[in-house]
Amino acid sequence: MNAEPICILVCALGGEGGGVLAEWLYDCAVLAGHSAQATSIPGVAQRTGATTYYIEICPLPDHQLGGRRPVFSLNPVPGGIDLLVSSELLETVRQIGAGMASAERSLVISSSSRALTVAEKMTPGDGRHNAAALLATLQRHARECQVLDMPALALAQRTAVSAVLLGAIAGSGRLPFARSLFEEAIRRSGKGVDASLRGFAAAFAAVASNRAQQAQAQAYAQALLAPVAAAASMASGVDSSAAAVPEALRSALPEAVHAIAALGHARLCDYQDPAYAALYLQRLQAVVAAERAADPAAAQGWALSCAAARWLALWMAFDDIVRVAALKASAARALRVRREVGASADEVVKVYDHFKPGVAEFAALLPAGLARRLTAWDDRRRGRGLEPWAMPIKLGSHTVFGALALRILASLKGQRRRGSRFAVEQALIQRWLDAIQRGAAESWALGHALAECGRLVKGYGSTNERGKANLLHIAEQLAAARAGASAAQRAAAVAAACQAALADDAGSALDATLAAHGAPARPLRAQPIHWYRRRPAPADAAEPGRVRQH
Amino acid sequence: MEVQFTDQIEQLKLGAGATFHGEGILAITKALLQSGVSYIGGYQGAPVSHLLDVMVQARPYVEGLGVHVEPCSNEASAAAMLGASIHYPLRGAVTWKSIVGTNVAADGLSNLASPGVVGGALIVVGEDYGEGASVIQERTHAYAAKSTLLLLDPRPALDNMVRLVEHAFAMSEASNMPAILELRIRACHVRGQFVAKDNLPAKLSTRNLIEEPAGFDYMRLAHPPVTFRHEKLKVEQRIPAAQRYIVAHGLNESLPGARFADVGIIVQGGLTNALLRGLQRLGLADAFGGSDLPLLLLNVTYPLVPEQVSAFCAGKRAVLVVEEGNPEYIEKDISLALRRLDVQTAVHGKDMLPMAGEYTVEVLARGLAEFVARHLPEVDLGPVRAWLAATEARRVAVVGQAGALPARPPGFCVGCPERPVFSALKLAQQAVGPVHIAADIGCHALATFEPFSSGHSILGYGMSLASRAGVSPMMQRRTLAIMGDGGFWHNGLLTGVQAALFNGDDAVLLVMKNGYTSATGTQDILNTPDDAAKAQAEQQAQLHQSLVHKNQSIEDTLKGMGAQWIRSVHTYDVDSVRQTLQDALTSDFNGLKVVIAEGECQLERQRRVKPWNAARLQRGERVERVKYGVDEDVCNGDHACIRLSGCPTLSLKDNPDPLKLDPVATVLEGCVGCGLCGANAHAATLCPSFYRAEVVRNPRWGERLLARWRERFSAWLRPAATA
Repeated sequence: MNAEPICILVCALGGEGGGVLAEWLYDCAVLAGHSAQATSIPGVAQRTGATTYYIEICPLPDHQLGGRRPVFSLNPVPGGIDLLVSSELLETVRQIGAGMASAERSLVISSSSRALTVAEKMTPGDGRHNAAALLATLQRHARECQVLDMPALALAQRTAVSAVLLGAIAGSGRLPFARSLFEEAIRRSGKGVDASLRGFAAAFAAVASNRAQQAQAQAYAQALLAPVAAAASMASGVDSSAAAVPEALRSALPEAVHAIAALGHARLCDYQDPAYAALYLQRLQAVVAAERAADPAAAQGWALSCAAARWLALWMAFDDIVRVAALKASAARALRVRREVGASADEVVKVYDHFKPGVAEFAALLPAGLARRLTAWDDRRRGRGLEPWAMPIKLGSHTVFGALALRILASLKGQRRRGSRFAVEQALIQRWLDAIQRGAAESWALGHALAECGRLVKGYGSTNERGKANLLHIAEQLAAARAGASAAQRAAAVAAACQAALADDAGSALDATLAAHGAPARPLRAQPIHWYRRRPAPADAAEPGRVRQH
Repeated sequence: MEVQFTDQIEQLKLGAGATFHGEGILAITKALLQSGVSYIGGYQGAPVSHLLDVMVQARPYVEGLGVHVEPCSNEASAAAMLGASIHYPLRGAVTWKSIVGTNVAADGLSNLASPGVVGGALIVVGEDYGEGASVIQERTHAYAAKSTLLLLDPRPALDNMVRLVEHAFAMSEASNMPAILELRIRACHVRGQFVAKDNLPAKLSTRNLIEEPAGFDYMRLAHPPVTFRHEKLKVEQRIPAAQRYIVAHGLNESLPGARFADVGIIVQGGLTNALLRGLQRLGLADAFGGSDLPLLLLNVTYPLVPEQVSAFCAGKRAVLVVEEGNPEYIEKDISLALRRLDVQTAVHGKDMLPMAGEYTVEVLARGLAEFVARHLPEVDLGPVRAWLAATEARRVAVVGQAGALPARPPGFCVGCPERPVFSALKLAQQAVGPVHIAADIGCHALATFEPFSSGHSILGYGMSLASRAGVSPMMQRRTLAIMGDGGFWHNGLLTGVQAALFNGDDAVLLVMKNGYTSATGTQDILNTPDDAAKAQAEQQAQLHQSLVHKNQSIEDTLKGMGAQWIRSVHTYDVDSVRQTLQDALTSDFNGLKVVIAEGECQLERQRRVKPWNAARLQRGERVERVKYGVDEDVCNGDHACIRLSGCPTLSLKDNPDPLKLDPVATVLEGCVGCGLCGANAHAATLCPSFYRAEVVRNPRWGERLLARWRERFSAWLRPAATA
């Protein structure tokens, strides 16, 4: 008789109820009269780290064992896992990477969802691990795999992920127990029984239907790949359905650029006015002309102009108080907030917005002269060792005052044009565009690399300042003709520097790249730091602590 | 703590014949009651916390049995508690996490072991070794050997673990040696079953008090000159007595081999199951633990019984000693025993198995394959070698396909009150320059991981302030020591604060006052808010509040000791925490400066508040919940907010704006509205995308009316076309 145990490895994140799940599985076995053992590495369980649970169940009921008792292992054995169950895609693959699952033996039941690690979340650009690669790996190393969005199911049934996991396990049919037995185990646990049973049923159905038509799993795969693919396609352009293409634009630009330029055009109409949008179009035409000269046959599919169209629009629509106020005051936003916080119709929602405008934000809207005076005043304060002036506001946007304040700020579009920052931004934008055109004149690749650098400009305050400084330094130092550096080499250098600039906000990666390519280092920017030196007490002074002791 | 162990306590009450189902550590707890203990103590720490937690909650029941239960202030006081068994025939048990707890307890253990005990004394330690361990990788075995303590390492089957607890007490009494029972992490958490016995009320207990103190007996003191006699007694009488007991009661299990008799394996009891699974992989064992090779399972790993070992080895060409960790104490003892008795069996061990690291099934299988290849050439190793090779190949393949996976270390909980302190510390250092940070044991040590990557050294529980004593005099800038309130009471108050005050050190101490101790347990301590404060909180509208300020024992203690510079700050107020830290680091006051960061453990707060809110909703009363959010069209995709927080519910999603490519921040389900996002947005001048939403269920009619009126007004203000 084969008494080789059924080996189940469960991966969960702290707080998902993996312990409860292990207990349910153990209880199922006991109820069915099978010997079983469960154990765990809870880690610092409630601390959101990865936790694993390991269960072994004898496939035969005790009465068939002739009085003998199976000896179970406390450790999972690589390649010896029958059922790998996991509530998070990366953790599933982590166990596969540890060699646990095998294509010969393992049924893998995994959530398609990702709980991003801090390392992935904290990068300034996009540090997310490639979900498509994870899924592909999973499918390659499993005899059979069931992929479903477990947190979504749990949320829909207002229960814990553990119940969904149990449902998926039961639905997989890998354990020699009837559905009713699993449900009995849930009932006996006595806590949140109804919700757990709902989650169990939902997952059971999902997996059962998957098994009925394995194509389903592929659908999940597609669903998972979709956003990734979309992001990829955006890199070159966006689907033309995204926005209606105005006539002026249609005639002025090549087909390939229409879709994204239309988006930019619309953005700037909304951001400022049609005149400003026209300026966008005019600037874009200059870039297109430069690209046409560099690549007459359009062999590159207008990738340079597409990149420029994207980043130019975003830079021209630079974020400021007026823009933020407009976005915060919009009706769409009010609805989105209610949706995001899951407020039902009969619930009252109060929304408070956190602003901290500083001198720069106000100076931006003032005429150059006034702005200069205001900035100078703040610099003097900082010189005296004070913090830069800023006004922390917690604005109740749901109140009459709040709504009014946002509305008034949003109506300052005209003032934005007259404000000091507007002129500054236009000048900087022109420097960037000139660099692109100079680059394109040398080689298409260099121009394209410079256009893509537009990605560095985003956000507010220091983030925005840093981005622009980095961009212009790359565009005017690294890209500039140097002895012994061909245009192709410089194009590669610019592309590398652009990536590096997104790696860390301290810019250490960027500095390294600049140095590596023999470009001058970024100019140091003055910034008051109050270094404090310890002043040890003179030897003869009696320290307070000591005085009390004697 | 708010966690309830009702079910576990029912298991403890089981009588003779009933089947116990539960975790290993709970089985041990039940075994203590079946052995008639009079007192139980210890200090919490994974993986043995449950023993004490359950006992504390089971007090009403166990006190009925006359058992005294006491959560000790640290492992040293737990070890000292066993002193009761020196004079009196009292069975007592204490528990802690090893190796660290045993280190703290070492002085008491030495002074307990020297005079020896008349009542059975048992120490249940969690051998925190291998996967999931949170401490330095060392072996408890060294303490048993140097202090002459019995060391039990039971085969991890519940009935066997229970049997050995009962024997441990008897053997302790037979040999006058205190006993240590070590359980690895997976053994503590193993869920299995055993047939219970009735709990045994102790002869002497809180219900049947000792009439008279014992007469004066110098031999019971750990004091010269009798300590010299004690040493002789250990080797001349106690160890031999223990060895007789081990043999007489068959504590170690010798299993014959089904196929081979002239080679064998000697294994620590705790590793038995892994070894058997390893043998199965080589086709040398079955699913029921039947082995083709003879096995000697050492449920007692100190002292060994040389005669027993030599009897097992006699007539064998070779034995493999399976012993986890280093140094290889058992292997050396065995080699020595065989040499002395002139048994010529070849002894293998660390020559075929790794010196360091956990002995998983795979690791054991590799070592076994080498042993078998050497001494049993007739055994076909093809399958096991193929399996090992395939496993390796798979690992390489996955790295190729999925790339190097980002690690997922534990982090602060959602809404943890300690996270904001490290946000503030990051900002403070931008202003006053980086400082040397002496870190400590506790939740706050999670700040050593991203996004904070903070801390220069960890010298032990409550040791941070002491560990900067040599650094701060040498440093241009002040150093910072961080300590939790758990560490403060465990040891930091004396080793750190007292020393700093006595020496008038120019030091900065940051105390994380969250009101509980132990990352895994939230056990109560001296400064835990009392029930009165909690009951009072329920009456008040603001349920989310922290209650730690209601207990001032830390502040009072510091003042009493003469600390003159003490500041208390509310942790979620990032800007004032930052300011206070800067003050402490730059103040002209050259003595000890203490910053007390107040914020009650969020886990405990949620466990307390959730049922209250549930009840209010049941009654249809007004309940307010807070959730933070990010405006996706305002977020700049720079993720500076995440680099200052790392909250699990502050994550990323694809950018909904087709023009933008970088993902935007988003707040997930599960946000408890602690307020850090808002506080950081102000303190660090982040982008203006964060909003705080207060959602009111069952609002009062006035509230409802006002809201409707406000909405009308906002709608009227909005232009027709919006972004």
